Amino acid sequence: MNHTPADQPQPAPTADAPRNGYTINGKLYFAEPQPGQCLRTFLRERGVFGVKKGCDQGDCGACTVWLDGTPVHSCLMPAFRAAGREVTTVEGLAPPDGSLHPVQQAFLGAQAFQCSFCTAGMMMTCAALTDAQKEDMPQALKGNLCRCTGYRAIADAMHGRAEIAEDIAGEACGASVPSPLAHAIVTGEARYTMDVAMEGMLHLKVLRSPHAHARIRAIGRDRAMAVPGVAAIFTWEDVPRRLYSTATHEDHLVDPDDSYMLDNVVRFAGQRVAAVVAETEAAAEAACRLLEVEYEILPAVFDPVAAMAPGAPRIHDERGEERGNIYADIHGEIGSVAEGFASADAVHEMTYSTSRVQHVHLETHGSIAWQGEDGRVHIRTSTQAPFIAKQKLCHLFGLRPSDVHVFTERVGGGFGGKQEMISEDLCLLAALKTGRPVQWEFTREEQFIGATTRHQMTTRVKLGARRDGTLTAIELHVVSNTGAYGGHASETLGASLGGPMTAYRCPNKKAAGYAVYTNMVPGGGFRGYGSSQTAFAIECAIDELARLLGIDPFAMRRKNMILPGDWIESAWNDPSDVDFGSYGLDQCLDFVEGALAKGGGLPKPEGEEWAEGTGVALAMLECGPPTEHRSGAQMRLLPDGSYHLAVGSTEMGNGSITSHRQIAASLLSARADRIAIVNADTDLAPYDTGTFASTGTVVAGQAVRMAAEAMRDSILGFARRHTGADCRLDDNAVICGNERVGLAELYAIGTRAGHHFEAKRKSYLSLRSVAFNVQGIRLAVHRATGEIRILHSVHGADIGRLINPMQCRGQIEGSIAMGIGWALTEQMVYDAEGRMVNPALRNYRIPSYADVPPTEVFFADTYDRIGPLGAKSQGECAINPVAPAIANALADATGVRFPHLPLLPDRIFAKLAPHA
Amino acid sequence: MINFQYARPNEVADAVRQIAADPRARFIAGGTNLLDLMKSDVEQPSRLIDISRLPLKSVEETPDGGLRIGALVPNTDLAYHPLVESRYPLLASAIMAGASQQLRNMASTGGNLMQRTRCYYFYDIATPCNKREPGSGCSAIEGLNRMHAILGTSESCIAVYPSDMSIALAALEATVRVMGPGGERTMAFADFHRLPGDTPERDNNLEPNEIITAIELPPQGFAKNHSYLKIRDRLSYAFALVSVAAALEMDGEAVKEARLALGGVAHKPWRVEAAEAALAGQPANEASFAKAADIVLSGAKGFEHNAFKIDLARRAIIRTLTQAANGTPQSQSSKKIR
Repeated sequence: MNHTPADQPQPAPTADAPRNGYTINGKLYFAEPQPGQCLRTFLRERGVFGVKKGCDQGDCGACTVWLDGTPVHSCLMPAFRAAGREVTTVEGLAPPDGSLHPVQQAFLGAQAFQCSFCTAGMMMTCAALTDAQKEDMPQALKGNLCRCTGYRAIADAMHGRAEIAEDIAGEACGASVPSPLAHAIVTGEARYTMDVAMEGMLHLKVLRSPHAHARIRAIGRDRAMAVPGVAAIFTWEDVPRRLYSTATHEDHLVDPDDSYMLDNVVRFAGQRVAAVVAETEAAAEAACRLLEVEYEILPAVFDPVAAMAPGAPRIHDERGEERGNIYADIHGEIGSVAEGFASADAVHEMTYSTSRVQHVHLETHGSIAWQGEDGRVHIRTSTQAPFIAKQKLCHLFGLRPSDVHVFTERVGGGFGGKQEMISEDLCLLAALKTGRPVQWEFTREEQFIGATTRHQMTTRVKLGARRDGTLTAIELHVVSNTGAYGGHASETLGASLGGPMTAYRCPNKKAAGYAVYTNMVPGGGFRGYGSSQTAFAIECAIDELARLLGIDPFAMRRKNMILPGDWIESAWNDPSDVDFGSYGLDQCLDFVEGALAKGGGLPKPEGEEWAEGTGVALAMLECGPPTEHRSGAQMRLLPDGSYHLAVGSTEMGNGSITSHRQIAASLLSARADRIAIVNADTDLAPYDTGTFASTGTVVAGQAVRMAAEAMRDSILGFARRHTGADCRLDDNAVICGNERVGLAELYAIGTRAGHHFEAKRKSYLSLRSVAFNVQGIRLAVHRATGEIRILHSVHGADIGRLINPMQCRGQIEGSIAMGIGWALTEQMVYDAEGRMVNPALRNYRIPSYADVPPTEVFFADTYDRIGPLGAKSQGECAINPVAPAIANALADATGVRFPHLPLLPDRIFAKLAPHA
Repeated sequence: MINFQYARPNEVADAVRQIAADPRARFIAGGTNLLDLMKSDVEQPSRLIDISRLPLKSVEETPDGGLRIGALVPNTDLAYHPLVESRYPLLASAIMAGASQQLRNMASTGGNLMQRTRCYYFYDIATPCNKREPGSGCSAIEGLNRMHAILGTSESCIAVYPSDMSIALAALEATVRVMGPGGERTMAFADFHRLPGDTPERDNNLEPNEIITAIELPPQGFAKNHSYLKIRDRLSYAFALVSVAAALEMDGEAVKEARLALGGVAHKPWRVEAAEAALAGQPANEASFAKAADIVLSGAKGFEHNAFKIDLARRAIIRTLTQAANGTPQSQSSKKIR
């Protein structure tokens, strides 16, 4: 990006100055927008990075700014229209005296953010509301989407409720202390992946396949190269011909090496065909349009069952005839389900299906790569797994690990979508070939058609039970559509046959699962990771079986749920490394039953056409993945007596930098703000597999615990030797006998004596504990028109000790909101050629403020003996019981079972009688 | 987006002259739809004529007791205008059912009438679309048509007109004032939008060299008995699967006069005067409402994915008329259950 003088604020105009001055946050700029430029990019080119891109289409509100005090979408405003008017962004919200605007203060106090990518826009909308409008927040916030919080914390902020706790030395763990970046977030200073300007930056754009399956015969690039500003074009002939998987795991063997960076066969509509780098995004885009690709269309298959049939089009030829399109299949049986069903008094069998959905983290995928003056390559990226991304880049480009640096700035949400390397590789390729920095930011459309999704699964469940409700047999048959590539296919399939079935004690269990290649967009990791899909099926089926037997759904679950001391098993006999570090499922069920019985929430809307029902579902999670997972943490005492903590794991809104600081602070008897943390940087932090599979606390947090304990022992050991007395830490000092020695002083003394106040520890995930979540829903459904209103939502979570109660609640609420979207509103629609027709946030509908009810969240009183400081995993599992609880409530209200998600009005109203 | 020229006239007559001079020029008011279309390359104007400074921003009472709404009045201002809230609450309700705060702040009254369809295929320049490229074919008829029309469709186009505000304006029998080179003329609201026929590229009967200057509402506002019901996939910020604007003048338990307009089902706000006539003098009960619904929907034709709209619309009409008759209009706020 060229910094011309016009990018800088200018002195007041003189009489003959040009008319189109732009006042941005009180500073006057003279600049000519590029033709067709919108205000959003115009502002960002002036370094106003608080203005975010979530959709670039006026749907999400992340780019909201004020024009003469009125909130507008800056992405839908031609830049030239702001000439002569006052533009205010989040950077200009606070008064000049250095204090915060009341809305910033409120968002800070309620910590009304997680990844915070929506926060600036959200605050700009909120800060312009009249008192009357504040009374109706669902209406007022129609134009601002948040994917993380479930909106409750935002509602709290707007109602002036503050949550944050004081940061007291030694008491950080268990306190709702704020994020270390909270101030930067509310002032718009927090920097995300794309929030940087670099000299000489090139922009990368990708041409994507319009065909679901085709061989590329030729790519004519002459017309594209002729576009002014185009620097280079890359096709499959220009990239290293090395197979890899875009999925990231510690164990590289669990995902198939079935992808090339650019390939001469495209296997889904949306796959990369070619990349163009140019001086501007517009030039790169224009050149992409002028690439002349000759495709040989190949037969395509989209349905996994059809793809398994003999003679189906083959997605990956090289796999051999006998495997066909089945990438993975898993089978197992314990006991004998045949005998189990024979001894059952009632059997329920039904096919349930769940839909493909997208993560919709508001920050899209994106990377910036460049060659540094140090002779190494640097990749600034939005990833959940920087260390594995580095390994993959070394593999693809034949680089030495010491020559590659991968890091994140703040990451705007992940949810599993960024457990994937899908932008870094092309940026690095282009940076290496051109010698210039290259950036690539996905559009929202690319997120839908070119990133990963939750695996669509179809699950046949068969359950048998005796008259008293005792389960005699569970049988599952799962078909997972992994799409064109197999990343995460076997692991999600394994998870689908794990927790949801393990949660019930039954002597006879049988499972068969198939992950099948098709010409759909690939599946990937997604919060809940395969378990969500079958939890929906099993939890619905448990209710149906209970109904057949006339047993209450809670009683049915209590009768059969896993209990401490049980052998933890799904449908195979191999022993696992999972054990009960704690158990609170019983408490969660009791709470949900009690809370639903007590009432609360809203009354049923008036009118007999509204039918009301309640539903419950439970979920069990093994804390951390069955694959290997490791992490490291490093601590140093600094000369001023404060601490440096480096952790490999990514913070993407999950709150790990906050909780890691708390863990360390607690063990060092210090205030959390005495610890400066860096994270997710392959140069600055020890190795970490990645923040996924709910490992941020139980693996990375464990490493932090160990490093902090070692740090403590290092300090106290030296202090004891130095003073000869017994010592203990007290915030910024050690107390040895009657003497208080400041840590800065101790550091000086120790360093002179050759002592190293440093510690590094690694953690490895095994043993794994178990966590539980129970969701209760009361809803109303309109019999005539099929609208669903959630009246009351209650949730019990057994996640061990709460490191940060406010954040834990936020994670649960965010999961619930995502579950509501999956159950009720989100749908990726594909045409007969396998093209998604609704790749925009106006047509792919994640829950808005109005769609998400507040949830009463209860935490079981448990302390885990395995997890760090008693904590367990919690980022994912809360989503799993949400959709089945809603479906069970709908069945209770209507007497009709709807086994397929999503439960859109047109899918349900026709089966409802307009009158009771 | 391609490059374009930019002009900003201060007088209506000047704006009309400029649009007439360049067939590829477009007016830009709020720009919320136009910019979006330009980013998708659906619209590629050579020149943008910024009309945001034209003096068309006032809301005034007319001598006959109606209301004249300047074409550039932002949707937000209109929805919250005291005279609209008190005398035409159906209009306020419909506006609040649509879009978002930020969009309504920018979007103008005239621009709302000019909104183009959000048909997936219209927006996707890689697919055939007769509305975007006459003669290229319609991808929706055999394609994913869940959001599409069931009434007034043609073999060329089954797109729906997306506005909420206009459904209320249709029910209220607004008139549209437009200015062209030859002066000002008035169009009945029902005559403003078109059915697709074999010219789906034309959304309405505005001539290319004309500009909307105002919308006028007659005195009768149906403030007591009205409702706007919008059935959609999420509770806010989603286009209608079906929406219904109902306005009734009651005479005790009976309907004296009825207005009924549907959104989300056709290429224009769908109004059937025979159905309204059939309600007049009838008791306000489900039987009467069902009969009216059947008249409205006679001739409705579903496609592969949207046939559900016929029954859904029938149920929605009955429900909305019931709400209107009871004086319990559908709330567009407090959707969140607290």
